[in-house]
Amino acid sequence: MKFKKFIRTYKPFTRAGMLESVQYRANFFCFLIGEIMSCFIMFFVWKAVFLSSDSETFMGFTMEDMVVYLFITFLTGYLTYSDGTYAIAMEIRDGSIAMRMIKPCSFDMCFLFQELGNKIINVLFIFAPLVLGVEAYRWAITGECQFQIQHFLLYVISLVLAYLISFYFNVSYGFMAFYLKNLWGADILKEVIINFLSGATIPLAFMPEILADVLGFLPFSSLSYTPVMIYMGMYSGMEILSRILMQIFWLCFMVVLSKIIWNHAVKRLCSQEG
Amino acid sequence: MIYVNDLRKEFKKAIKEPGLKGSVKALFSPKNEIVKAVDGISFHVPKGEMLGFIGPNGAGKSTVIKMLTGILTPTSGTCEINGFIPQKDRQRYVKEIGVVFGQRTQLWWDLALRETYAVLKEIYDVPDKEYKKRMEFLNEVLELDEFISSPVRTLSLGQRMRADIAASLLHNPKVLFLDEPTIGLDVVVKDNIRNAIQKINAEEGTTVILTTHDLADIELLCDRIVMIDKGKKVFDGQLNDLRHEFGQMRDLQFELISKSDISKLNYKADLKLSDEDVKIENEKSSVSVRFDSEKVSVEDILSYTLSKVHVKDINLKDADIEEIIRRLYRQEVSIDEV
Ligand SMILES: Nc1ncnc2c1ncn2[C@@H]1O[C@H](COP(=O)(O)OP(=O)(O)OP(=O)(O)O)[C@@H](O)[C@H]1O
Ligand SMILES: [Mg+2]
Repeated sequence: MKFKKFIRTYKPFTRAGMLESVQYRANFFCFLIGEIMSCFIMFFVWKAVFLSSDSETFMGFTMEDMVVYLFITFLTGYLTYSDGTYAIAMEIRDGSIAMRMIKPCSFDMCFLFQELGNKIINVLFIFAPLVLGVEAYRWAITGECQFQIQHFLLYVISLVLAYLISFYFNVSYGFMAFYLKNLWGADILKEVIINFLSGATIPLAFMPEILADVLGFLPFSSLSYTPVMIYMGMYSGMEILSRILMQIFWLCFMVVLSKIIWNHAVKRLCSQEG
Repeated sequence: MIYVNDLRKEFKKAIKEPGLKGSVKALFSPKNEIVKAVDGISFHVPKGEMLGFIGPNGAGKSTVIKMLTGILTPTSGTCEINGFIPQKDRQRYVKEIGVVFGQRTQLWWDLALRETYAVLKEIYDVPDKEYKKRMEFLNEVLELDEFISSPVRTLSLGQRMRADIAASLLHNPKVLFLDEPTIGLDVVVKDNIRNAIQKINAEEGTTVILTTHDLADIELLCDRIVMIDKGKKVFDGQLNDLRHEFGQMRDLQFELISKSDISKLNYKADLKLSDEDVKIENEKSSVSVRFDSEKVSVEDILSYTLSKVHVKDINLKDADIEEIIRRLYRQEVSIDEV
């Protein structure tokens, strides 16, 4: 009953999110083409790396692995991307954040469900084609079907966790607008750093072992590296379990962090309003 | 119902000297100035009363409303509404109040209006039957039907304001706070909104606190007004009291038979009155004399005029509330007189 009510409350936000992404479809496709182009650029860069090395594999990755890695990392990054930072920073700047305090409704759920609407459309338009493309490529190269349903399902679970971590991370980060005057510059820096720390730029496996281990424990690897490795079947059963537990830990951490920051922000808002 | 006791709010404002030099200076040794936005206000509102807040720009009206709704924490002093202290028990408190800030919508920008109400129904736990009844009522007085399927961001100002008012009434709040609910609206929409507020107050006994710059709102809606200026309360009482207290302004209009007679009238010089005490306006063959009846009597003005010119028609207007308030705002009448 409670759950039903919850869904009834937030469903309209999801619908609005879906409508919104359909409305901006032209925009969305331009963006997508640009992103896929950059995937291909990375593909040629890595191809050059592989050609110049003597062996078939590079740090345990074959060229085929690398291609899968590139595209699935792109897909994961795209689906776990969250706009919370920007939305919240805007509300803080124009003061409309105060309006959220006079409604008995949780501040994060409206955001979350609206973004979920976006994600549903994204899944329809790019998830299926990209996964099919990658699998077709693998089949063509190796001559047999590499798709494994259990890895795929675990990937989906890990992907959802990664998205939620990303969402709450961005919500927390958005509240920094209370403390930082210019979040925009900090935002670009954030993207670059996270892409590096999460293994989206270079697989963590290619990094020095100590660095890779440290990054493995930080929340960033939960955002992208973990789901991608699960998809590629790089982890054993135990490893998968521990990585997913790690994701759950970071999710709880981020949720709690965002609540703490929100409560602190509310106090500040109430004393000075801006 | 609502008890406000010695409420104060101070804001720190950074003082910045102009130019780059000032900016750099402010970076290293920031100087703050304390702005007393609300400076010791107390009042009590019984259940079912409609109270109007008036005062010049920057008087502190919105700041009071923000403290009463729990958005701002008072620097000192207390307010208690329905037994709640707004900042303390926010989640439960906000379920019992309705709030509209005319300057800013609280509706979700991207949702269609119909869906907005569906969401509000859930978060305020409005039972189905009640919801239906209320929507019908709001639809009728505020004519929401014409735009109920549009997303909020596409609504015009007047439509949005109607939508916001409806949203604030959906859950039958015990107290309704309206900060400039009629700002920027056309006459018909203003009427509709006033109607809605009046009906809700009459039928449900909702307590209403509103701020406005439109005195018609006050005359039509409010049982009582509180006037504040520079954060302090300068008047608290019925509109009629205000009229009586400051009712010495009179407006006499004469319709002259001959237009050329106008030049014969010279009130200021002949009756020895200052610019403050009397204002003359001429239009074609009519003369309007607005004067302070404590300084000069109606009789004097009348006999003077009749002795100088021939008059076709005379019209005596009552003290105009707008004029009283204008004088109060300009501080032509001092606070101690109240
Ligand atoms: N967040 C803030 N920081 C600093 N000063 C503020 C802040 N909010 C309001 N003030 C100051 O407090 C005073 C009262 O402002 P308030 O908005 O309450 O006025 P108001 O009576 O609503 O005026 P108006 O009729 O123009 O809406 C003003 O001098 C304003 O500059
Ligand atoms: Mg105001």
